[in-house]
Amino acid sequence: MLTAIIPLLLDSLASAALIFFAAVGLTLVFSVLRVLNVAHGSLYSIGGYVAASICLFVASRQLNSYLSFAALLFSAVFVAAIFGPLIERGLVRWTYGKSEAVQILITFGLFLILEDLQRLIFGVQSFYEDAPMRLLGTSSIGGVVYLNYQIVLIGMALLVVIGLRLLINHTRLGRLITAVVTDREMAQSIGIDTNRIFILAFSLGVFLAALGGALATPTSGIAPGLGADTMVLAFAVAAIGGLGQIEGAAVASLIVGLARVLAIYLAPSLDAVAPYAAMLAVLLIRPYGLFGSVTARRI
Amino acid sequence: MAFKDISIVVARYLSSLELAFRLDRGTPQANLRWAVDGLAGALALGVVAATPVAAQEKPGSLGLGLFTFTSGPAAAYGMPGKNAADLIIDEINAKGGIEGVPVSATYVDEAQGAQGVIAEYRRLAGDAKNQVMVAALSSANCLALAPLAEQLEVPTVGWNCDTHQLLIDGKSKYVFRPNGNTVPEFVAYAIYLLDRKPDVKTVAIINPDYAFGHDAAKIFTAALKALKPDVEIVAELYPKLGSPNYQTEISRLATARPDVVFSNLWGADLENFVRQAAPRGIFTSSQVILALGETVLQRVPLPDGVIVGVLGDGWWMSPDAKANPETVKFAEAYKARFGEYPVFPAIKMANALIYVKAAYKAAMQKNGGKWPTRAELADAMKGSKVATLTGTAQTRPDNDGLVDQIVGVTVKASAQPFPVIGDMVRYKGDSLMPQAGQDPLAWISTLKPEFARRLPKPGSYK
Repeated sequence: MLTAIIPLLLDSLASAALIFFAAVGLTLVFSVLRVLNVAHGSLYSIGGYVAASICLFVASRQLNSYLSFAALLFSAVFVAAIFGPLIERGLVRWTYGKSEAVQILITFGLFLILEDLQRLIFGVQSFYEDAPMRLLGTSSIGGVVYLNYQIVLIGMALLVVIGLRLLINHTRLGRLITAVVTDREMAQSIGIDTNRIFILAFSLGVFLAALGGALATPTSGIAPGLGADTMVLAFAVAAIGGLGQIEGAAVASLIVGLARVLAIYLAPSLDAVAPYAAMLAVLLIRPYGLFGSVTARRI
Repeated sequence: MAFKDISIVVARYLSSLELAFRLDRGTPQANLRWAVDGLAGALALGVVAATPVAAQEKPGSLGLGLFTFTSGPAAAYGMPGKNAADLIIDEINAKGGIEGVPVSATYVDEAQGAQGVIAEYRRLAGDAKNQVMVAALSSANCLALAPLAEQLEVPTVGWNCDTHQLLIDGKSKYVFRPNGNTVPEFVAYAIYLLDRKPDVKTVAIINPDYAFGHDAAKIFTAALKALKPDVEIVAELYPKLGSPNYQTEISRLATARPDVVFSNLWGADLENFVRQAAPRGIFTSSQVILALGETVLQRVPLPDGVIVGVLGDGWWMSPDAKANPETVKFAEAYKARFGEYPVFPAIKMANALIYVKAAYKAAMQKNGGKWPTRAELADAMKGSKVATLTGTAQTRPDNDGLVDQIVGVTVKASAQPFPVIGDMVRYKGDSLMPQAGQDPLAWISTLKPEFARRLPKPGSYK
């Protein structure tokens, strides 16, 4: 019995970790900026492309292989530093206070541009660089060989949840973000530079998306089209957890991960629909998501 | 002539309108799209009807519509096809073209989806310059385009279409497949497996979640059950096409502990699966069959002993290919231009273009040297037997192809930095095909172990 449950559990957690990285940035940006960034999936895949490129550079120069771990983190910082302020100041800020339809149309336009940009720069072939995965080796758990990198990913996801909660609750920046989320006008009237908060929060969202893509690269390839798939899944997770809810995204990732894994083990033909069936079931019972509410929003 | 020109312009405009509507699938727009489809189709028919006289004169150039995946995960399979087309067309044009007419290709990216592919096909067919379509890679697109080819009467050569459903009704006049189909392709793997591993008891399948994956699973399972009824299928997984991550599927395969893992994943999906499955021990715990494994030999470090093949005879290092100077020249030119040797989709495309060229030659011989109409060209394809780079492509009366099937296992080769195919067998194309009009699955169910015993054995093709 235990040998049957352990793989289910481990696969669910590993799957949830990857899904969480894809979704948490989207929900964070929505909570602060109140903008649903449809281009979020593209930033995820750009993070993957940049990470793979740097790791390939490290390998081609025969540098210390362990630098590839630093490359994963650096690529996320690099993408956030370039794209975060650029997109927020250049495009997203014009949508504040506009209808959701305008916001979605503008970020969808950005999504199309970023997807074509990736094709132009990285081509249409898939990218793959698995040095970090190979360095960590494998472990046999419950009779099944797992990549140690998968287990590290689970830990990383947990660290991100704790880190974000610490950032929001125990830092000055976090309290400023909370103030802006709670009442944007009031925060502005007491002298909080909301523009700066928006840039920082959006860049943090981009960082999380790019980090997700970068961390996924060693175990899965990056190819054109990944951005769209990621976006759809991230949106399902955000909807289940409640838009703007970080803990909600974590719990929703677990639900979606478990739903997918159960489908693959028990009813493989339902694999593709499992995340959306879970979303439908949750939204039928709680239309604002597990952690969402009609009147109050929190992060 | 004026009617033709106006029709082409209007048909093109309507096709572009249809593309514009793809983003909005609301009911009124959907209705409008059908109306546009109908109008564009009618106008394209008008163009076709208005052009037979002009088609008898040698045109300034011969247009080919070439359909393949040039973007997305499937491009890993589609781009070798495009590369081969570029190379072969350059070679044909360097020698003066087809029967003196230079060839110009218009590429259509199949990644845009069936609606876009249909609109592009219709747009290209509306231009009389485009006499032949080499379409398509995806079985789903082949099935979507086949009725259109018949309606517009445009010779259409399925350069890769694998699905046995494409020509199953035997009524096609304009759709041809100078390849084998899913039936001989996957029956071949069942026979090879049982020859190599006769004690197999349990099999797990991981195929892409669309017609090609499901058809292959059905055919492979039916052949195994017919030839060795005690074989049990312990897991059947169908991940979404284009899925980047297979870790959960790999865990599921590992828990099923099958003797054999069969897969017809392809393109980037196959690369991803191999890279993720290898470190997790799938290739050591089970005998793995990768039906399209040859396409990744130069890109992914496959271990020895994996059963792979080329869904036909398109292995550039096969004894027949190495004995053909044209094939050797093609492989070297391909390597020089694109940095790797031609994988079998490249060979399939090259063979399809050789098939088209041979059809023009035959059609012109038949009609006294005049440039053939589309109908005359289609007539020349029917029942043809064409020498290709890697063997022979024979077209049956139902327009389906008879092509040999090569299967083997990965082995190290001192001459190459990547594994090659060894312990090969070459099954005759007609030996694994049901008769025209026969239900393929019913035919497979009649197979007996004696049938397999009469076929050549692994290692016999040297």
